[in-house]
Amino acid sequence: MRVAVCAPQVPFVRGGAEIFAETLVSELRARDHDAELVTVPFKWYPGTRVLSQAFLWRLLDLEESDGRPIDVVVATKFPSYCVRHPNKRVWVLHQFRQAYELDRTELGQFSESPEDRALRRQVQRLDRIALGEATRLFATSANVAGRIERSTGLAAEVMPHPPQELPYRCEEYGDFVLSVNRLDRAKRIDLLLEAAAHDPGLRVVVTGEGPDRDRLEALARERGLNGRAKFTGRVSAEELASLYARCLAVYYAPVDEDFGMVPYEAFLSSKPVLTATDAGGPLEVVSDGRTGLVAAPEPGALAAAARRLREDPAAAAAFGRAGRELAERVTWDACIDRLLA
Amino acid sequence: MRVALYTPMPPERSGIADYSALLLPALEQRVDVVVARRGRTRPLRGTDLAVYHIGNNPDAHGWILDALRRRPGVVVLHDFVLHHLIAGVTIGRRDGHGYLDAMEREAGVVGRLLAHGVLDKRIPPLWESRPEDFPLAGEVLELATGLIVHSAHVERRAREAGYGGRIWRVPHPAWPLPPIEPEHVGGDPLLGCFGNVNASKRVPQLLEAFARLRRDHAEARLLLVGATSPGFDLDRRLQRLGLADDGLVRLDWVPEPRLWALMAACDACINLRAPTMGETSGSVVRQLSLGKPVVVSDVGWFSELPDAVALKVPVDDHEVETLHAALALLAREGEVRAAMGRAAAELARREHDLERVADLYAAAFEQAAGGTAVVDSVLREVATAAADVGIAAGTPEGDELARRLAEIDVGR
Repeated sequence: MRVAVCAPQVPFVRGGAEIFAETLVSELRARDHDAELVTVPFKWYPGTRVLSQAFLWRLLDLEESDGRPIDVVVATKFPSYCVRHPNKRVWVLHQFRQAYELDRTELGQFSESPEDRALRRQVQRLDRIALGEATRLFATSANVAGRIERSTGLAAEVMPHPPQELPYRCEEYGDFVLSVNRLDRAKRIDLLLEAAAHDPGLRVVVTGEGPDRDRLEALARERGLNGRAKFTGRVSAEELASLYARCLAVYYAPVDEDFGMVPYEAFLSSKPVLTATDAGGPLEVVSDGRTGLVAAPEPGALAAAARRLREDPAAAAAFGRAGRELAERVTWDACIDRLLA
Repeated sequence: MRVALYTPMPPERSGIADYSALLLPALEQRVDVVVARRGRTRPLRGTDLAVYHIGNNPDAHGWILDALRRRPGVVVLHDFVLHHLIAGVTIGRRDGHGYLDAMEREAGVVGRLLAHGVLDKRIPPLWESRPEDFPLAGEVLELATGLIVHSAHVERRAREAGYGGRIWRVPHPAWPLPPIEPEHVGGDPLLGCFGNVNASKRVPQLLEAFARLRRDHAEARLLLVGATSPGFDLDRRLQRLGLADDGLVRLDWVPEPRLWALMAACDACINLRAPTMGETSGSVVRQLSLGKPVVVSDVGWFSELPDAVALKVPVDDHEVETLHAALALLAREGEVRAAMGRAAAELARREHDLERVADLYAAAFEQAAGGTAVVDSVLREVATAAADVGIAAGTPEGDELARRLAEIDVGR
């Protein structure tokens, strides 16, 4: 099949969504499909740019390319699913969350002005139109599917995807909790640092880059975490696999996250995941006392959970093994069969 | 965002006042609302949008139409036929010329001549004899910057009347169920009919059909609740049909708590209507919430009720026969009643949920207040980019841009 995978691209920013789209293309190619990644730069501010940028996708003609038809388009994330195609499959990683549950929070974008309020509604309307056109609609998690259902009335099939390919392994249950995430406020890495401030025995390693890095490093200094909080910046695939292999557990507690590959990556390294009760999508795979620990989103509760794992590495190993069994069931073979069926 | 709301409110005794009283607290959680004092027609300062509840009753809505005339805004159109309202604010205010003009706008010279006939008392008042033929909604539609309607029926009629603005279809909200015990009325089955007792509620047809039902279901009882309209001789009809002494329980207007208790006592409720003014029925929404199967006329909004919850009776030469068959089915088949009741409660929960309705209202308000600016801004950016690469309006490329914009609802 000739498949165009559509994903927006925020120049100079790379995260799970970008990795997912690239991996999907390579996995399709590995199964003898003629697959191509189609991207358009995306900027969502100021004002109505979110709509005019979405409109760029609407103008694309992906029915054929170079005189040959494109059989299927697979769109992944707002606004790429605004693209037109008679066989449009949408595998939703994210709607434009600022128009939904992040509205009127510190992570929101729309003010109380009539124009901004109307703009938010227009984004919602655009979602109803664009997602409603899909010949099949998938969501990476029940959390995402629920949000789609509430906001558009459309039913999406839940289909998680495997994480990126890494040399996953487990070498030890070491003495640090690992955070793998883009450094922005919604990922709530400050909560892990506050937990470390709460428990002098807790060491953390924070990987990733992002706009919140300076604030987080300042916070670590303020809390006197000298030597107990290490910021690595972006790391190579091998370095990341090595960190996964050596950590005690993986911290992943964004606010109402849609999906997140990190728990699956942790599980494939046989590591338990430490998350929060309001983390959203991760709670679909992180079960308290089975594949990790779920704590209240408070420093004290998280510190206590991390201490429990530190003091009982056998439990950490058992949770990690249970997680691995779960993660190994999510395969690209199954996903692609379903996606193109 | 601040919204000026013009609506009748309790203690005014009107369905729309009850509706607004129900909706307002949920709306206030979403939008900053200022309710205009009754009779105030001057625009409220500092508001981004004005919203007018318009219905057919001139006493309740005459002043709201006056306010709309001073500041166009979003109209919640509760009835499409507004003849009674327009007659009230023209003839009722000794403005015969206003009525002549309204009728001429609606139906040309013939309309004007008919209006003369009404003013000269040569023909019966059209708002009583033929309102559905002359809805007189033109002025309201012209002043409305957007419409909120409750049914596809009203939306279609507005479009047929040439309305080109934005229309939001929002269901009638359902009341939370009060903690009530069903009142003991008796009857097997007990059928209820609530509202004014008159010909347009098809009470003559209902009485005929019910009298036939009693031949096979002697225990059946009809609960008729509501004021009798002037000129409607109910007693004579009951005498003629043999219902005067038995089978019928007659109550005048009852307060809200008792209304719920009486509805809760019914096995099914009858809500007939013809002609329709395009209205929804708060009474039917209450009955759905209570999980009651309903029998309705197959007109307007009532036709849009799912078949799973409503038996629909066409208004034709066989109306009484069809109605009798519907009543007989409900009297005979307890299982059917139960299944319809379950579907009714589910419909009320799903479709008429107060929070959902308030969300839809808030979305409509936000789009109405800022939507034009948003669309203008996007169009300006797209037009500038198009012009930069040499695409002009009216060219095939320009047309395609317009088509794609319309597809995502950002067109003109």
